[in-house]
Amino acid sequence: MAPLKHLEMENSIIDACFRDFCASHGILTVEDFLLHDLYELAAFAEREANADRLKEGITVMLSLIEVKCRPLLNGMELLEDLQRNKHTLSSGDNGADSLLQGGLREGQLTELVGPSSSGKTQFCMQASASVAEKQDGRVFYIDTGNSFCARRIAQFICGSSDAAALRKRVLSRISCHTVYDIYTMFDTLQGLEVALRSQVQMNVNEYRLRLLVVDSISSLITPILGGSGSQGRALMVALGYLLKKLAHEHNIAVLVTNHTVGAGESGKTKPALGETWKSIPHVRLMLSRDHRNSNCTISILKHTSMPSGKTVRTITRKDNQQCL
Amino acid sequence: MGEHEARGWIRSDETAKQMLSRVLGDRAFLLLPPLHRVPLRAGNVVEITGSSPTAKTQILIQAAITCILPKTWNGVHYGGLEKLVLFLDLDCRFDVLRLSDMLKHRLLEAYQSNVKTQDKSKIVYDEELYVSCMKRFLYLRCYDSLELLSTLKTLHYRIRLQEACGSQVGVLMIDSIGAFHWTDRLSSSLALDKNNRKSLSLTNVVETIVQEMKKLMQVHSLVVIATKATIYEEKYPTNENNRNISSHSDLFGNPSSKAQQPPFREFMPSSWQAFVTHKIFIRKSDDHHKSLGQQNLSAYLLEWLQPQLSSIDRFIVDDSGIVIVSKHTQILFHVSSSHAVWYCHCLMT
Repeated sequence: MAPLKHLEMENSIIDACFRDFCASHGILTVEDFLLHDLYELAAFAEREANADRLKEGITVMLSLIEVKCRPLLNGMELLEDLQRNKHTLSSGDNGADSLLQGGLREGQLTELVGPSSSGKTQFCMQASASVAEKQDGRVFYIDTGNSFCARRIAQFICGSSDAAALRKRVLSRISCHTVYDIYTMFDTLQGLEVALRSQVQMNVNEYRLRLLVVDSISSLITPILGGSGSQGRALMVALGYLLKKLAHEHNIAVLVTNHTVGAGESGKTKPALGETWKSIPHVRLMLSRDHRNSNCTISILKHTSMPSGKTVRTITRKDNQQCL
Repeated sequence: MGEHEARGWIRSDETAKQMLSRVLGDRAFLLLPPLHRVPLRAGNVVEITGSSPTAKTQILIQAAITCILPKTWNGVHYGGLEKLVLFLDLDCRFDVLRLSDMLKHRLLEAYQSNVKTQDKSKIVYDEELYVSCMKRFLYLRCYDSLELLSTLKTLHYRIRLQEACGSQVGVLMIDSIGAFHWTDRLSSSLALDKNNRKSLSLTNVVETIVQEMKKLMQVHSLVVIATKATIYEEKYPTNENNRNISSHSDLFGNPSSKAQQPPFREFMPSSWQAFVTHKIFIRKSDDHHKSLGQQNLSAYLLEWLQPQLSSIDRFIVDDSGIVIVSKHTQILFHVSSSHAVWYCHCLMT
C-alpha cells in the first residue's frame, strides 16, 4: 500500500499538515494507519489547533480503506456467482468424476496426493486433454519435473471424426510452462494474473482459461521448507493464496500434485508439505495403485462439501488407450 | 439546573417491558450439537481448534444455519434465532453449496416433524423462507492480514447498513484465525524500528485485530466463533487409547494439569489467547465409524478445554451434517428426530 503522500493528489485533505500530524504518531503509510487505534488518533487530533480538519482527514482515510475492501456478499449472491461462473469440469476419468460429483470445480484448488508412479501426472494430463477437448477451455500447465508429454495428452483425446485436426485444435489450447523454483513460479503466476486481468478489460472473446495445472507443487516447495525459519512456510502459504485468488477471481480450476513421505516408524506414508499446507486446498484426493492388478484407487482426504473417506476404484490409465 | 432538566434526569431510562425485551434479546442460547454443552451469550469468543480436516467449517456452517433460521415461520417451528451471520473467510475455501444443502436439509426436517403428511413427494421446502435465510448470511473473504484489518476497521459501518434492513448481527465467524500466521511472522523479521513506527509484526497485527474486534463487540451484541487450524504436527502419538488414558487420569487426578498443557502446540500470540473465552479441541478418532455399511466415515472427538468438561463427544459427518455418536455403546443422543429414527433403524438391522 501507498505512502500517505501519494493520496494527496486525489484527496486534498491529506495535505502536508495532516501528514505531519500522522508522522508524529508514527504513521507514514496506509499500512501504518491500519495498525492504529483510530479513536485514539481522533482523540489526539482533538488537542491540535486544526482539530476539525484533522478529524476530517481521518474520516477520509477510513472511507478510502472502505473502498478498497471487498463487498459483503449474502448467501444468495454467493450462490448466483457459483451457478453463473463456477462450473464443474470433467477430469476425463469417470471414476473420479462420479466421486467428485461431476469433476473439478472452477474456483477451487484440487490437490492430488500419491506416491511416485501412482498416476498423478497421468491424471493431470488426462484432465488437461478433457478440458481442452470437451469444455473448449484453455489449459495452463506448469511442469516442474519435465514430465509433461504432448504425445501422451494426444492419446487421451477421444474424438472420432477427423482425428488429426481435432488433435491439433485441442493441443493448441494447452500451453506448457517449465518452472524449476518457487521464485520463477511467483513470476509466472503474477504474469498470468496480469494477462487475465487485461483480458477481462479488453473483453477478448477467445477460449477462456479454465484449468491451471501445477505438476508437481511439492517439488517447488520442499526445497525451501525445513529448519525453524518461517520464510519457507510463508512463501508456501503465499503461493497457496495466490493460486486460490486466481482460481476464485478468474473462475479457474486449479489442479496441483503433491508427493508422499514416510510417517514415523510405522511404515505408513502421509502427504508431504506438512500441517500448514493442509488448510490450503479445497479438495485433497489420495491416489494409490495396486501394482499386481494395476488397479487405481482414488479416495477423498478432504472435501468442502463431502465427508472424507469416500473411495472409488478406477481402471489404470496405462491401458486406457482404446480411444486412439 | 432547570426544573425541566431535573425532570429529565430523574425520568426512567426504560420501561420494564423495554428492559425485559432487551434482556431477553441478549439471553444465552444453545447451539446444535456438538456445540450444545455450554450456553453462549453475546460477548463470548469461542475458539475451535483442530488439524485439517476435522469438520471445523462444518460446525460453523451448522451454527450459522441455526442463527439465520427464524424461530417460527407459517406455523412451523424452526427454532432459529433469526439473526445475521457474518462469515470472515480467511482460508478462502468456503463452499456456499454446502451451506445451501444443509439449510435445505434443516428446512425439510423441521417441516416434516411439524406437518404430518402421508405423501412424501409433497414435502418441499419453502422457497421464500430459504431465500430470506440465505440473505441473512453475509460473507467476506480476505487474502492477507492487511485486508482483514481494513475489513475490521470498516465493519462497524457496514454492519449498520445491513442491520438497517431488519435483523441484527448475532454471530461473527472467522475461518480460520491462524491463516496468515507464517506470512505475518515473516514480516516481523522485516521490522522497521525508526520514527516510533509500529511494525507489521505478528504480535502487532493480532493485537490490532483483537482491539478492533473488541470495539466491534462494544457496539454490537455478538458471539464470535473462530476456528483455528493447528500448524504443527501433534506432539503425542496419534494412538487414541494413549491419549484417552492420559486425559482420563487428568480428569480424576489433577484436572488443572490438562488446562495448563493444551493437547496442541499453541501458536497464537497472547493477546488473542486472552481474548478467547471458550476453547474447544477436536481431533480425529483412529477407529472409523462402520455401522453405516456402505462407506467408511471418519469419526472425530470433541472436548471442551475451557470451560473444562469431562465428557468427550464423538461425532461423524455424513451427507446430512454432524451426527453425534456416543463412544462405546453406539447409542446416539441429541440428534434431530427424523434422523434418529433412521439411524436407530440402521443399528437394528
